[in-house]
Amino acid sequence: MSLELVCPAGTPSALRAAVEAGAHSVYCGFRDETNARNFPGLNFSPDELVEGVRFAHAHGTKVLVAINTFAKAGAMDAWKAALANAEKAGADAVILADLAVLDHAATHHPNLRLHLSVQAAAATPEAIAFYADTFGVKRIVMPRVLSVEEIAKLNAAINVETEAFVFGGLCPMTEGRCSLSSYATGKSPNLTGVCSPPEHVAYTEDKNGTATRLNGFTIDRFGAGEQAGYPTLCKGRFVAGGKTFYLFEDPVSLNAASLIAALAKAGVTALKIEGRQRGKGYVAEVVRTFRAAVEAIDAGGTEVEVGRLLSGLVEGGRQTSGAYKKTWR
Amino acid sequence: MAEHFRGELPRFLRILAAPAGFLPLGPALTMAVRRFARRKPAVFDRLGEYGKCSFLIEPSDLDVSFLMVPDGVRAEVKCLRRRASQTADVTVRGPLLVLLGLLDGTFDGDALFFNRAISVSGRTDALVALRNSIEDAELTPADFVGATGSLGKLVDRSVIGGLGLARRFTGSPIPGEPS
Amino acid sequence: MLDTKKSTNMTKTGLTLGPVLFNWSPDRLRDFYARIADEADVDRVHLGEVVCGKRQPFTDGVWPELIERLQAAGKQVVLSTLALPYNPRERNAVIDFCKAGELAEINDLTALPTVAGKPFLVGPFVNVYNEGAARFLAGRGATGICLPVELPIASVAVIAAALPEVEFELFAFGRLPLALSGRCYHARLHGLHKDGCQFVCDRDPDGLPVDTLDGQRFLAINGIQTLSSGVEAFCPTPEDLAKLGVRRLRLSPHTVDMVAVSRLYRALLDGRASRTETLAALKALDLPGELVDGFTRGQPGSARVEMA
Repeated sequence: MSLELVCPAGTPSALRAAVEAGAHSVYCGFRDETNARNFPGLNFSPDELVEGVRFAHAHGTKVLVAINTFAKAGAMDAWKAALANAEKAGADAVILADLAVLDHAATHHPNLRLHLSVQAAAATPEAIAFYADTFGVKRIVMPRVLSVEEIAKLNAAINVETEAFVFGGLCPMTEGRCSLSSYATGKSPNLTGVCSPPEHVAYTEDKNGTATRLNGFTIDRFGAGEQAGYPTLCKGRFVAGGKTFYLFEDPVSLNAASLIAALAKAGVTALKIEGRQRGKGYVAEVVRTFRAAVEAIDAGGTEVEVGRLLSGLVEGGRQTSGAYKKTWR
Repeated sequence: MAEHFRGELPRFLRILAAPAGFLPLGPALTMAVRRFARRKPAVFDRLGEYGKCSFLIEPSDLDVSFLMVPDGVRAEVKCLRRRASQTADVTVRGPLLVLLGLLDGTFDGDALFFNRAISVSGRTDALVALRNSIEDAELTPADFVGATGSLGKLVDRSVIGGLGLARRFTGSPIPGEPS
Repeated sequence: MLDTKKSTNMTKTGLTLGPVLFNWSPDRLRDFYARIADEADVDRVHLGEVVCGKRQPFTDGVWPELIERLQAAGKQVVLSTLALPYNPRERNAVIDFCKAGELAEINDLTALPTVAGKPFLVGPFVNVYNEGAARFLAGRGATGICLPVELPIASVAVIAAALPEVEFELFAFGRLPLALSGRCYHARLHGLHKDGCQFVCDRDPDGLPVDTLDGQRFLAINGIQTLSSGVEAFCPTPEDLAKLGVRRLRLSPHTVDMVAVSRLYRALLDGRASRTETLAALKALDLPGELVDGFTRGQPGSARVEMA
């Protein structure tokens, strides 16, 4: 069976771009704290989702709705509404992380297909079996801590589908287990669906160049002409043990394109592209390229051919294959 | 980086911008944004509370800057002489072509931060919101300057041509967030 | 609703000594827990390696004697499981810990099928952000839950009010455990890979400070874990805790005199010392960072303690 390409849709226009570029599935979220990409100006209203699903289905593309934050105590209504609206819109699956949301979905929306978000950080056969047996979860988005060899072993030990990130932003921390952002700003992926929120980002020019600060903490500093990254806390430059460097992660993005065939062999069902905050031009280009690569692999294409197809994406920024190769650790 | 772009500025826009006040640019832009708001109200729903923020847009290769409050049909754009000390919720400064690239999807919310040609101060979140809202609008440069008909096509062609060049100065990695 | 519960049941607030998060040698652990057994004013002590599975072979041998030692001194012993297990040895270790016969604290849902149906505790690495998640775990047998460190205090009150039968615990003292990774930062700092890490994290028994480029003290690394530089010092009055519905506080071990820390907290919880006195006394100790308590005040976690 061919690999399913799961593509980001931060806005309705990005959804259309991804669908037209050949996405097998798109994933998106509602414009509120129920999804882990709660950035200003992004995401879908319930009506936009209805329209988006209609458009995607007309093109044979599935829509997966991320409702993957942890519900706020005493205020679960937004998460319940998100589940109901996703089902009403005809979503093909919802991507969930919180035990309470999973429990509610399994009980009240038995026909909704459930995927487990990377935010749930389920990395062992025992944990995955728990989610599958308890809530009927059909697919796991795998934490970005496993190597390809470990993914192969994991797939042999579980009976649900797995989805692996292959391109885009890379969290060096285990997702769903990180409170760095709330330590600095009070807001975090688990609490409010944002990491290093833009309202706490400030750029200050001084004689040493430009400092990027997150709620007063200096995350990095650039000289004129040096390329800056979005000031995500874990991608910053810090001083530790007498060294000044990118302690947690270099300003790189994930590109596991060269490992697509290996991931397929390891039993992965779907490949996920990160980037709901990226523009439609970027999304279309990445999706088109990955679609061609997946088809080349299906047709028995060589690594060289696949590599050539993807070479355009490697231009520019620096990239890593992340935890898929053990040396990353 | 501004000098890379200076020669590439569409002639039409140079003429428009050169003697500030010579053309009633502010009112024309105000009308354009308000017309746009009537045509595509969803863009401004998306913008939400940020519609009330003031955005100071300073093309580094022009002698004018623009102060915009994109509050839907109550939107307002002022064209100001450069160096007139003006405060706003958020100020964004860079070569005009790069700034226009924010409109058509050439530069997305993330590329904005990678691109050192642009400097942002003030409420960064407001700019991200504006950028993401515009992204969904499928806006063309002609919409931005309020040009229509054949004039609009001319604007689109020249700006998009320039953007091809600007594209080379962006790209690259992004902050990781999950789903 | 909160007030009626408060007045009917003013039992003594429990004090827990959490698991040691750092790479301490077996000898250091023996000495540390011997003194805890004899002198510390805590009623519950957590043992076990929760951060890095690679450290487990070094410490596995010490736990049995420490369990006995602590139990003989009248402490309740809890075995805490690894927060991020993934290889087969680590997964088996988690399951073995849960079957050892002591009360287990799970820090990952890997352990849930093993403990379900009998009483167990839930550690701060499990994402309990609302009453629904807490109720789900209580339904599986959880009798106590130490809530995630970033959970807003308003949420704590809502969750505790919804489940009066569960003993809720808050992380009250020590560097805050903020993140885990597949990558080892100690190894990376020393130019090594995790697989050949040489266990360099043992050089920093309170974690290695991470400062910003402008010299601000910010974080600390501990192998695959990232902690705050600031030392959490949540010092509530007994009335504050009763109002919140929180019945237990957790002290996280550091090289500072933990016996002294435990006594300060005991006095605070028994109403024998004021918040200001307690904070002043904590501040006088040899701490690895500034006192912070933002998470317990609806602020960023790094917000400094206000003494007044």
